Amino acid sequence: MFATRAQPVVSALSAGVQTRNMATLREIQIRLNSIKNIGKITKSMKMIASTKVAKAQRSMETARTYGRTSGAIYTNSNTAPLENESEIFVVSSSDRGLCGGIHSSVAKATRKLIAVPTGSIAGVVVLGDKAKNQMSRSNRKDIHLSFNQIGKSIPTYAEASAAADTILTSGVKVETTTVVYNMFHSAIAYEATPLRSYSLEALKSAEGFSAYELDDEVLENYREFLLANNLYWALVEGHASEMSAKRNAMENATKNAGDMVDRLTMTYNRTRQAAITSELVDIITGASAL
Amino acid sequence: RSYATEAASTGLRLTFAVPHQTLYKDVNVAQVNIAAVSGDMGILASHVPSIEQLRPGVVEVLEGAASKRFFVSGGFATMNPDSTLNINAIEAFPIEEFSSETIRNNLAEAQRVVNSGATEEEKIAAKIEVEVLEALQAAVNAK
Repeated sequence: MFATRAQPVVSALSAGVQTRNMATLREIQIRLNSIKNIGKITKSMKMIASTKVAKAQRSMETARTYGRTSGAIYTNSNTAPLENESEIFVVSSSDRGLCGGIHSSVAKATRKLIAVPTGSIAGVVVLGDKAKNQMSRSNRKDIHLSFNQIGKSIPTYAEASAAADTILTSGVKVETTTVVYNMFHSAIAYEATPLRSYSLEALKSAEGFSAYELDDEVLENYREFLLANNLYWALVEGHASEMSAKRNAMENATKNAGDMVDRLTMTYNRTRQAAITSELVDIITGASAL
Repeated sequence: RSYATEAASTGLRLTFAVPHQTLYKDVNVAQVNIAAVSGDMGILASHVPSIEQLRPGVVEVLEGAASKRFFVSGGFATMNPDSTLNINAIEAFPIEEFSSETIRNNLAEAQRVVNSGATEEEKIAAKIEVEVLEALQAAVNAK
């Protein structure tokens, strides 16, 4: 009597456990597949970023030499901003995401610099949609120019000079220009750094500048040239840092996806074995009840 | 003797960089001839510090007996008090790499745009192109 009454209850319960396990198994399988796919995507993104890093780094070395040569005049003549000169901040980033802390790094550094400016703030220029998003959160009213379509490929001088031209003709007084970009330290490290170019007056009154002979008519051209060169350097080096950060981010993502797949596979196998075991238990209990 | 060795050790150190390529990086050279907006000039070691805007033309680098000529689209040359010469040019290529045929064709095309009914902006761009191409043609033919 005990056995006959026990039997239907046991099988009903075990049937419920079985179906519940099956549903969980199915869910785990779906999750497993989805995470495996994500792992494949992040792995291929990492490969792409790796190839881009090598190329970007080579361009960066050339851009650095070019930029440092151009900026040597400032160091040689000890140029510094004059009192009461306005400062424009250019935040150099890009449109693309999935690259770690690149955008927030430049945005944070810019905000810190804005808090203690050398003169009045004439405005903020953002290069890249992500930079725009970041800076809009804190300094929306200061942003007077934004550029996008940045970050798809290695920046060219033409882009930098077009940006410089737009800034210079935008109607805002351009005196000290501080470009904040991510300086590439190593494959795993970058740091937001400012790069300054100064106004004509600041350059003319620099202590070492009087040693140089030059025609006054080329001075304005020279200043615009120096600004374009700084923008170019910042864009190219920023691009190299971004590719490297993207590679690292994708590598971490792939590793995490791999870890999750391992854990889920364990869970899947255990659940599967539990389902089998409970089926066996039913059968054995049922058989022994007979 | 001591004066002679001093002059030899400082020399003229040239850094000639283009955005996509570093042509010379802190290289000891004998003389550099540049085509500046204010006129052609030759720069030797201990030249007076100056900043010159380059016009489209030839920059010649004399290293010992060898001389290399580059056509430069524009840029700036800065001679520093410590005998270092920095040249930043936007485009610079060795003269040998230019093809006269292509220059002729491009020049004809640019001149056509200047004389055609294009917009003012396009005409100005074409005029600049003509100026650069004419200088390039002169430089290529001069060798």
